[in-house]
Amino acid sequence: MLPHQANLIMTQTVLVLSFSIGIFLTSLGSLAVAEEPKKETLSISFPSDPFSFQPGPGQEIANTYCVICHSADYIYMQPPHSQTTWTEIIKKMKLAFGCPIPDESIALLSEYLIHQNEISPLPSSPSHFQMSSSPLLNAQAVLDKGQSVYTTHCLNCHGPMGKGDGPIGKMLIPPAANLTVIGQKSDKELLKTIQDGRPGTAMPSWKGDLSAQEILNVLSYVRTFSQK
Amino acid sequence: MPFTDGLTRRRFLQSGLIAGGLSALGLRSARASAPSSIDLPFDRGHRPLVAFPEKRPLMVMTTRPPQLETPFPIFDENIFTPNDAFFVRWHLAGIPTTVDLQTFRLTIRGRVKQSLSFSLTDLQSQFESIEVAAVCQCAGNSRGFSEPQVAGGQWGHGAMGNAIWKGVRLRDVLEKAGVEKDAKHVRFDGLDRPVADVTPDFLKSLPLDKAMADQVLVAYAMNGEPLPFLNGFPLRLVVPGWYATYWVKMLNDIEVLNHDDHNFWMDRAYRIPHNACGCLAPGQKPTSTVPLSTMPVRSFITNVNNGATLSAGKPTLIKGIAFDQGYGIDQVLLSIDGGQHWDAAQLGKDYGDFSFRPWEIRVALKPEQSYRFQSLAINRIGESQQLHAKWNPNGYLRNAVETVHVATSG
Repeated sequence: MLPHQANLIMTQTVLVLSFSIGIFLTSLGSLAVAEEPKKETLSISFPSDPFSFQPGPGQEIANTYCVICHSADYIYMQPPHSQTTWTEIIKKMKLAFGCPIPDESIALLSEYLIHQNEISPLPSSPSHFQMSSSPLLNAQAVLDKGQSVYTTHCLNCHGPMGKGDGPIGKMLIPPAANLTVIGQKSDKELLKTIQDGRPGTAMPSWKGDLSAQEILNVLSYVRTFSQK
Repeated sequence: MPFTDGLTRRRFLQSGLIAGGLSALGLRSARASAPSSIDLPFDRGHRPLVAFPEKRPLMVMTTRPPQLETPFPIFDENIFTPNDAFFVRWHLAGIPTTVDLQTFRLTIRGRVKQSLSFSLTDLQSQFESIEVAAVCQCAGNSRGFSEPQVAGGQWGHGAMGNAIWKGVRLRDVLEKAGVEKDAKHVRFDGLDRPVADVTPDFLKSLPLDKAMADQVLVAYAMNGEPLPFLNGFPLRLVVPGWYATYWVKMLNDIEVLNHDDHNFWMDRAYRIPHNACGCLAPGQKPTSTVPLSTMPVRSFITNVNNGATLSAGKPTLIKGIAFDQGYGIDQVLLSIDGGQHWDAAQLGKDYGDFSFRPWEIRVALKPEQSYRFQSLAINRIGESQQLHAKWNPNGYLRNAVETVHVATSG
């Protein structure tokens, strides 16, 4: 078996386990015209993105801007493009679709996308570290490190005080999560969201970009928003 | 981190995944025997097979927004593509995850005498219900085969499907609202929304005469079942003969306009070069464009895979499908020598002018030969497939004769 085949078996397993369907069937028996079986309410949930952007210069730009509107596999399925073509594509995303990427980031992103497009992506794995049941540390050193991660990676969407009102977060539909009201959620739940992203939203998976320790640090920092 | 290091690390992780993956699966026979991916025969054509809600495992081109391709063997097994295998293509990731029929309404407004709003049961009880068998095909179906390759969704041939659509005539609904004399276009919107409010919402328009055509439906059922969520539950526009971009999903708003529609998805997207073939010399950019609409005639061999080895000696059955924009298929020709000689195939049951038309033919093959199978369909007004693929910058309208390379055993 070739390595990429094994990869995809894993991918499939992960995806199949990672979402569910909720279809609520209600029969509308009283309706004279009801020939087809009727679904009163239909709800679905989407699978997580199978791939995340891989490490390299420009990854942060891709994880900040590209994933607002689409998953990373949009890049991996493209045929090889020249840097000129990638630049045209990025400009189309900016001018036609409103991607808020600054002009000065376009050159680095176009180089990054050429490299990303050349590789076969690493499928998302269920988690890359064991969830700890011990409480998160609140030591100032940890919070400082967490704040630094937050400022670099999270602030654009979640805003300076975690209210979901960052410059990008405000324009999202639905808007970025308000982190001041997540007091009820368990660490495990929040770690999963940071690691794997939130299916169906612009929240990407950060496990390729952040180490396990960085994810724990940023969660410690994020917890302080609801204490203020 | 330099990319070379990244690749090394990735390979290492992949070998870890093989061991972890196999033990996690416990090598169960059902899982082990089901393929986990399909490779399309072009660059970057590797597609994982993943089951999305209400769908069997389909080829994932993209996850968010979802774009799922139907594996080609399904077209050999079914003239009507099963709902759980029907391709999926959304433009915007803001797809609602719940639709409640108690509150869902379809609104008709704009240049009408009276704005109206209908629940699903209102539509079903107030209007005549109509059924039509029709092919729904993405304008970029087969884009991955463009030479040279072009940007966009890299579909194989599976961004199409054939279904029996049931619904009410759009014309009847418009007439109930009373179309004003100055009406020119009719614009359609669904429940899907862009992720960011600066992104153009997905809207499509039909010229009024097309909107009033007999077969254009507001459909609520597909192959006898409610529409799958990902195919537009609870209502989608059905425009037989026209590309799927007009078949607006989760349709909830119809606006009659007294002017041309200049929204992004009409003015900037889904446009082809303004010339007779909708094509250009490879690499060129068009000087003027028009919105694409009707589907040129196509055919496919469905029961022989490219690269197959067949046994010689007895007559070999070759079968497939053909369709066009609604004139109907007049004949399908088959060549086994790459187009030097053609024989007429037998057409199968006629399910209507907009449906897949099955066809088959038996051919004699000699041992230890290589063959190039090709099918060529001609519609009832004499339009035929292109012998050589046309090219345009967006990879639309492909209707070239496709080639299946075959070898015979001794």
